[in-house]
Amino acid sequence: MRVVIVDDEPLARGVLREFLLGHGDVEVVAECANGFEAVKAVTEQRPDLLLLDVQMPKLDGFEVLELLDGEIDVIFVTAYDTYAIRAFEVHAVDYLLKPFPAERLAEALDRARQRLTSKAKPAQGFAADMRAERAPLDRILIRDRGDVHVVPVQKIDYVESQDDYVSIRTGGKSYLKEQTMGDLELLLDPSAFVRIHRRYLLNVARLSKIALGAKDSHVAILADGTELPISRSGYARLRELL
Amino acid sequence: MHPILIERRRLGLYLLGWLPVVTLLTLGLGRGASPVSAIAVFVPLGFVYAFIGLSAWYVCRIAPIDHGLPLRTVGAHLVATVLASAMWIVTGDIWVSALDAMMPALNAGALFASRRLPLFVIGALLFWLAAALHYLLIAFEGSRAAERRALELSVLARDAELRALRAQLDPHFLFNSLNSISALTVADPAAARRMCVLLADFLRDTLRLGASARIPLAEELRLADRFLEIERVRLGSRLHVARETDPRADTCLVPPLLLQPLVENAVVHGIDQLVDGGTIRIAAARNGSALTIALENPCDPDRPRRSGNGLGLDLLRQRVVTQFGADGDVRIDEQPERFRVEVRIPCAS
Repeated sequence: MRVVIVDDEPLARGVLREFLLGHGDVEVVAECANGFEAVKAVTEQRPDLLLLDVQMPKLDGFEVLELLDGEIDVIFVTAYDTYAIRAFEVHAVDYLLKPFPAERLAEALDRARQRLTSKAKPAQGFAADMRAERAPLDRILIRDRGDVHVVPVQKIDYVESQDDYVSIRTGGKSYLKEQTMGDLELLLDPSAFVRIHRRYLLNVARLSKIALGAKDSHVAILADGTELPISRSGYARLRELL
Repeated sequence: MHPILIERRRLGLYLLGWLPVVTLLTLGLGRGASPVSAIAVFVPLGFVYAFIGLSAWYVCRIAPIDHGLPLRTVGAHLVATVLASAMWIVTGDIWVSALDAMMPALNAGALFASRRLPLFVIGALLFWLAAALHYLLIAFEGSRAAERRALELSVLARDAELRALRAQLDPHFLFNSLNSISALTVADPAAARRMCVLLADFLRDTLRLGASARIPLAEELRLADRFLEIERVRLGSRLHVARETDPRADTCLVPPLLLQPLVENAVVHGIDQLVDGGTIRIAAARNGSALTIALENPCDPDRPRRSGNGLGLDLLRQRVVTQFGADGDVRIDEQPERFRVEVRIPCAS
């Protein structure tokens, strides 16, 4: 079993490494000190299991998991018992509370082995529902192979739908994320983002003015001069918000 | 001591209040006599009675009216009234004989002799008025004292409550430290033992200091040092500490665990969130009787805006306000890449 250890504390990684020595079938293929390294390591190493801390700089454990979207089984290792329910929701293999004895890790590894051999595919498609019923997103994470981009939502200009992807435009740059427009719209603050068109989700703070287009249609003009079409129902939604 | 005599300002106001009484007295009793004589006789006597009237306070004190008007109280006031008026008449006699000796032309003695009886009656009435006003004054002072006591009590209670809140250490600090010890037990047993001792010292100090009302700043700083030393075991090279503390500030007495939540915040919301860590700066300076403690930590510029360190800062602000009022101040300077808190309080030693 190929394992990646993710914890920002060297000593916490040390305990795991030490305990894993007793398991001949386990190979530690990478040790990561933060979420960015974790996404990179998983992309490059394709491990079977992630031993993942929750509280880490930049990206927390759940964000790492969201970016990896069900590619890999995970055992959470944390000092906080408050995340247990969320861990259950994202189908974590186990949830270890620091400090823990070697036997407890052995138990968790057994479960992971079982899940691997039963060939049950790691949990998939939970990225969307794990965010449901929570406060609106304050940043969007985009995985670009091994790299991760973090875009604070207030920096987004607008989002354009492209089939199963969304293109997130921010300050002249655009990032492609595998997510449907409908899913993303649900996660964003509805008082800040308006679906002005089937294909466009606008950050209202960027709207400079609304101009009249051809045939009674409307056009949104953004602060940087970009023009986006507004549909009839989009216009109604925009009017309601403004 | 009579409350009106404590302050010169109060006495001045009181005498000013007597001015109309003295004027009426002079106009009323001086009618038919020469104005100069009337003024010479009655104005000084009027002001003399202002002081005789103050004695009503002592009568009011020994004969309180909390439980109605018992016969004893009425009796005490009757006796006092007769005595006060009599004293006034005697003083007047002495004064007019002095005037007659100095300025016989004023004919002061004759004027006074013809006004003795009305003066006695007026004296009695004024004394009753003075007694009534003094009862009012006593009631007012009493309610003010009660208010002050209630306020002092609520400040004490609030501070005890805040201290109790503060003494509730973040349990995750303990769990993480224990996990570090668990790691060190095999990797570096000597370091594991050192960590146990550090942790025990820190916990003991937190309990001990939290129970006192005031501690020297040096003790608070030592507690911060211990905490940071423990966190350095966990965070390794990510945590650096720079301390610039004025030795003159060491003896300043401060509320216990004032700094501790700030230090914890600096680690949890600052260093913990940075991939490469950074330096926590602690500074303390004393300027005469003013103590300034500042704490600065780097932070992640991309941090979510809803940072969770509001509660600790609110508690700090409340403590500083309840204990030092306008003499204390908490300033927060939040920049994208650093967070700074400055606490200014008076230095008592």
